[in-house]
Amino acid sequence: MAVEGRVLGMFAEPGGAARAVRALRAAHFEVETAMPAPFPEVIAALGKPRSGLGAVTFSGALLGLLAGVLLTVGTSVAWPLVTGGKPIVSVPPFVIVVFEVTVLVGSLTNLAAVVAGAALGARRQATAARLGATGDRIAVVASAGDASGAGRILRESGAEEVRDVA
Amino acid sequence: MSATESFRSIEDTVRATHGRPGPAYWIGLALAGGVAAFGAWSYSLIVRTGLHWTGLQRPGMWGNLITDFVFWVGIAHSGTLISAILFLFRARFRTAVYRVAEMMTVFAVMTAGLYPILHLGRPWFAYWLFPYPNQRELWVNFRSPLIWDVFAISTYLIVSTVFLLVGVAPDAAALRERATGWRRRLYAVLAFGWRGTDEQWRHYTRAYLFFAAFATPLVVSVHSVVSWDFAVSVLPGWHSTLFPPYFVAGAILSGVAMVILILVPLRRAFRLEALITPHHLDMLARLIVLTGLVVTYSYATEILLALQEPAGDPERSTFLYRMTGPYAPVFWTMVLCNCVGPVLLIIPAVRRRTAVLFGICVAITVGMWLERFNIVVTSLSHDRLPFDWRVYVPTWVEWAVTAGAFGWFFFLFLVGLKLVPPVSIAELKEEAAHAPAGAEEATHGR
Repeated sequence: MAVEGRVLGMFAEPGGAARAVRALRAAHFEVETAMPAPFPEVIAALGKPRSGLGAVTFSGALLGLLAGVLLTVGTSVAWPLVTGGKPIVSVPPFVIVVFEVTVLVGSLTNLAAVVAGAALGARRQATAARLGATGDRIAVVASAGDASGAGRILRESGAEEVRDVA
Repeated sequence: MSATESFRSIEDTVRATHGRPGPAYWIGLALAGGVAAFGAWSYSLIVRTGLHWTGLQRPGMWGNLITDFVFWVGIAHSGTLISAILFLFRARFRTAVYRVAEMMTVFAVMTAGLYPILHLGRPWFAYWLFPYPNQRELWVNFRSPLIWDVFAISTYLIVSTVFLLVGVAPDAAALRERATGWRRRLYAVLAFGWRGTDEQWRHYTRAYLFFAAFATPLVVSVHSVVSWDFAVSVLPGWHSTLFPPYFVAGAILSGVAMVILILVPLRRAFRLEALITPHHLDMLARLIVLTGLVVTYSYATEILLALQEPAGDPERSTFLYRMTGPYAPVFWTMVLCNCVGPVLLIIPAVRRRTAVLFGICVAITVGMWLERFNIVVTSLSHDRLPFDWRVYVPTWVEWAVTAGAFGWFFFLFLVGLKLVPPVSIAELKEEAAHAPAGAEEATHGR
């Protein structure tokens, strides 16, 4: 038996993995998974809240909007040269630049957030991350004292392979 | 076939595209590189000895190079359309084709972005277009559409590249497991430490949705901004509120045609027929029909509105000049390629014959380049001052620089094909897991 009482089940089908996750959670096991694709049934079975990444991305987009406004208005006021008889601060053309900067900074913030989220996720789910499952099977890791109970649930759910892991 | 076998089959098929290239690949690469190099050398003539190598003369100071810019920005469009907009609409046929479309977008923007810089005449001063602190406190003119272009194209390039690389990460992780040497290191970098844990997927799926949400209005904005390069001027033939939707529809038309032009040889050369099926080509052909009809409607609107003006009106005069003047062959070839070609694809038997579909897409690509030429050149040649009218004819140097764009694009694409998986492994696996048993075609990406 593994030292920390972790049991791994490898599944070929997402349906079986989802059944195992539901049963393990019902039996109060802590569950981690790793899979080669975002199988919706497995993700739903895990019952996790939606990622909070949106708040970070939204903040980034707001920052971009502010940067766009400051860039266009600030530099135009700093160099107040009238061209084409237009006002120094011409809102319609500036909206275009502000929009582009908003999208740019928002996207880059989104990128930073997903990279940070992926790194944190791998650290938080060290066992699943170490085993990894980017190929052809889905890994379900159950952590708790009763390893034999977890192994039974995994087998009953259709795991192709069940073994203890450290 | 079990899910595991399907997953392995998908992965093996995609992995095989990164195998040792055959002679055809090297010949294609050398040809593309050679054309690009010849284009670069031709351009160097202009830089070294002046604009006399071009056909540019007042009033036609925008010619092939600006035509190339608008054309390649248009080509870049459909990548993000197929990737982002069809993702938001949950169109499942995108799965097998969007990676190629995204790669096409990135390389097409890299091509498009070069051409306004080449057009500058003194390309080494291109950095003047960016706002940066300097000792004289000079800043760029944000009221100029040329500066909007700088921001739109730069943003589009960065966001498209990020969107592509984020999509590649899970696939690179899958390929990393069985790769060796420099490829393993490359995939490790592209995978961003991806392990496939549910926490990673939880953030990833959300982030991907946001990327798609950002990219969708960006696509529309970029070609609208390019259209405003023309529409905010007072030149007859350019000053039109129709331009933004007209340009966006035309961009999608040309982009989808280019995606098909790439996919047809690609699926055969890399044996991807099981993943990129005739169904995918059929769905793309339907997109061509839709956007072709929008473009045809735009042409008709533009012409009919101009022709209802009284005799002597500059707008009417410009459109009559386009249809009956020295550029009439360009105009009517454009109409034939962009209006008649897509309409033929309404007939299922036509669009399901790959060779015919390929031929029509070649015609659309030619037609869309001519459309850009028609817009850029004919309006300038026939402005409001009759004494100023002059016919612009591109020189061989300008044609060489135009051909160089195609060489540069295909060179980048061929190199990219060997570094980035040309179809999304993760998304195909997801579809394969949910395909009905025995439905082989569905298993592979319908």
